[in-house]
Amino acid sequence: MAIDRVSDSQAFTLLNRRVASLQAAIRDLTDQIGSGQRFTRPEQDPLGAGQVVRYGGELSSLTGFTETTSFGREVLGVEDQALGDAYNIMVRAEEIATQQANGTLSAQDRLASREEVHGLLESLTSTGNTEFLGRRVFAGLAQDVPAPFADPNGAGYSAATAFVGSTQEFSVKIGSTSAERVRITTRGDQVFTTALSALQSLENTLATNGNAAGDLTALAQGRAEIANERTSVGARGAQLDERKTQVAGLTETVTAARSRARDADLVSTISALTQAQTALQAMLQAGSLTLQTSLANLLQF
Amino acid sequence: MAITPALDIGKRGLLAQEAALGVVGNNIANVNTPGYTRQVAEFAQDPSITLPGGALAGAGVHIADIRQIIDPLVTRRLQASLTTTGERDAVRDQLERLSGILNDLNQPSLSDNLAKFFDAADALARTPQGLTERQTLLGAAQAVAVELNRRSSDLAALQADLDTRIVDRAAAANDDLKRIAALDTAIVAHEASGSHANDLRDQRQEVLNDLAKAIGVNVLANPDGSLRVDAAGGGLTLVDKGVVVNQIATRADPGNPAALVGNSLHQLGLVNTQGTFLTVDAAFSTGELAGLLQVRDGSTVTASQHLDTLANTLITTVNTIQTDPSALDLDGNSTGAPAVPFFSGTTAGTIAVGITDPRKIAAALSAQAGDNQNALRLADLRQTIQGPLGTTFDGYLALETGRIGGDASLAADSASAAQLLTTQLTAQREGLSGVNLNEELTNLLRFQRAFQASARVISTGNAILDDLMRLL
Repeated sequence: MAIDRVSDSQAFTLLNRRVASLQAAIRDLTDQIGSGQRFTRPEQDPLGAGQVVRYGGELSSLTGFTETTSFGREVLGVEDQALGDAYNIMVRAEEIATQQANGTLSAQDRLASREEVHGLLESLTSTGNTEFLGRRVFAGLAQDVPAPFADPNGAGYSAATAFVGSTQEFSVKIGSTSAERVRITTRGDQVFTTALSALQSLENTLATNGNAAGDLTALAQGRAEIANERTSVGARGAQLDERKTQVAGLTETVTAARSRARDADLVSTISALTQAQTALQAMLQAGSLTLQTSLANLLQF
Repeated sequence: MAITPALDIGKRGLLAQEAALGVVGNNIANVNTPGYTRQVAEFAQDPSITLPGGALAGAGVHIADIRQIIDPLVTRRLQASLTTTGERDAVRDQLERLSGILNDLNQPSLSDNLAKFFDAADALARTPQGLTERQTLLGAAQAVAVELNRRSSDLAALQADLDTRIVDRAAAANDDLKRIAALDTAIVAHEASGSHANDLRDQRQEVLNDLAKAIGVNVLANPDGSLRVDAAGGGLTLVDKGVVVNQIATRADPGNPAALVGNSLHQLGLVNTQGTFLTVDAAFSTGELAGLLQVRDGSTVTASQHLDTLANTLITTVNTIQTDPSALDLDGNSTGAPAVPFFSGTTAGTIAVGITDPRKIAAALSAQAGDNQNALRLADLRQTIQGPLGTTFDGYLALETGRIGGDASLAADSASAAQLLTTQLTAQREGLSGVNLNEELTNLLRFQRAFQASARVISTGNAILDDLMRLL
């Protein structure tokens, strides 16, 4: 039905409605510029809102993975350093044992060597007791607990039973499933006991003037176990590095996706705001001109 | 033809134009009156008089009627459109409130709090013996519980408010029925003399429109000018011939399964003249009351149920891990037997953190110092698909955000569509029945000129009489 007659009430109502609509648009655009977001309520973009919430949860997960892999990498770094020290200790012990087995040491040298081996035993024990942020690296990362390896200077010391710490392996979560975990600890009893026993045996050999040739095999075995574990630590460290890189890439991707879903395009928003302001001014001007044009203004009563 | 009839014709012309000027003045005065229907004076010739010789001569003019310019079809369509608009506006407004309560886009939000809870679980898995990490986890859990409590409480408050609105709107609609009956009585009395009670009809139409926003109605005109107003759904008569036959009523409905905790809802119905409460759900299937009912008993309840499902799943899964038979707290004590649940409660409204001592959090599954196996299981919950939710916690919140936003958006679109139709029909109605000042001013001039001409007829007749008098 064509409308060819317009009542005054209709004209004012139409003007009011259009002005209100433009003002609402200006309010929304101003809100977008102020918040930097395309929408602040789910009904403004239900799909985008759902995506933003999902991306937020995903980013939170990824942040957790990043922190965990960083922590794991730090722990493995400390382990690698300690195992490197332990390896060097064992190499030195083997040198001493070889010298003694060759019969090239004097009695005084043997005494000095015995003292050095005891020092190596103390050093390896100290290495086994390495702490990181108050946590025992070779005893399940237990916190604020006594040293897991007994003091070799203690009465009745036996390297075979020196370990009294936690044998719990400590893993960290680096992925969304319970299978995606990386062990970041090394059981001290498994990696150091052979080496400690070999050192204690060598020390006894030197003390009793025995032949150290019999200790060489055990020393080599202890060194090999340390070396093997160090290799394992390196591999796990590399795994964490790879995961960290992967997570960083994912974080970047998800952040970009969330930004696309949520963030306002300031250029187009400001442009739209300018258009809306211009339209409002034009509407008000046109309205004032139209509504002022009345027969009453032209008649002389 | 004698001069005296000419004077009479002039006089009647003056009276008729004066009356028409009055109609124009009334139109101008009511230019801003809501629901006013413009009126026009309908002129009619007075019965002719027979001149000597038998010729018929005109005897002047009179106002036969003052008629409203109205299209009943547009009025009926507008009334129906108002019902749809009332319903959809109500749904839109209330769903926007619902969306505001459950909005996860602003900070702090439930998704944000839940993320912090799982972040804290991650930190605990890294440092299972850390008291700081344990305390942080409890704090984050507390924030989740408080947010769930707030949402649950706000949903219940929204439902209670909707119930109050329903009761108030029903009372207002009931007042409309009484006013329609009273106006019907006045119109019938006024129009018994043969004239049209235009202003009363306008008032009645305004009240009818207000009633139509609240509840769908069918209106039939009785021959005496009164109306019969039936509920569009159910067909029961509400008003007929100036009598309220069935009133809109509310009564307490303690058995309503939709009532959220702490709420007592009301049932809508009709009460007949004998005072019997009639349950006529169909009568409230359209209009604002229907929209309010829809959100009160539908959307709000669904949102509450989904929130409870989320809360219950969180409580159950976390407590299952915390009270695992092998789970141990920081002091090596079992948290499985006797059970030391992490959360208490079963719903969003009742969830609370059940432990206050951070040492009671079971991060270990063995007595070995530093064991983090149980903390890892807790951290795993973030990415685990939960059976009752069909997805992860984050996924569920995203789904809920999208669902609620979608519902509110759809309601807004529906309301806009209904509003557009109402606007078009209002424009049609205004185009026909509204007052245009320029038109009225033109009519003013027209009737003023006619008035002046009639006066000139009288003055001319008077001059002729003067001339005659001077001959004497």
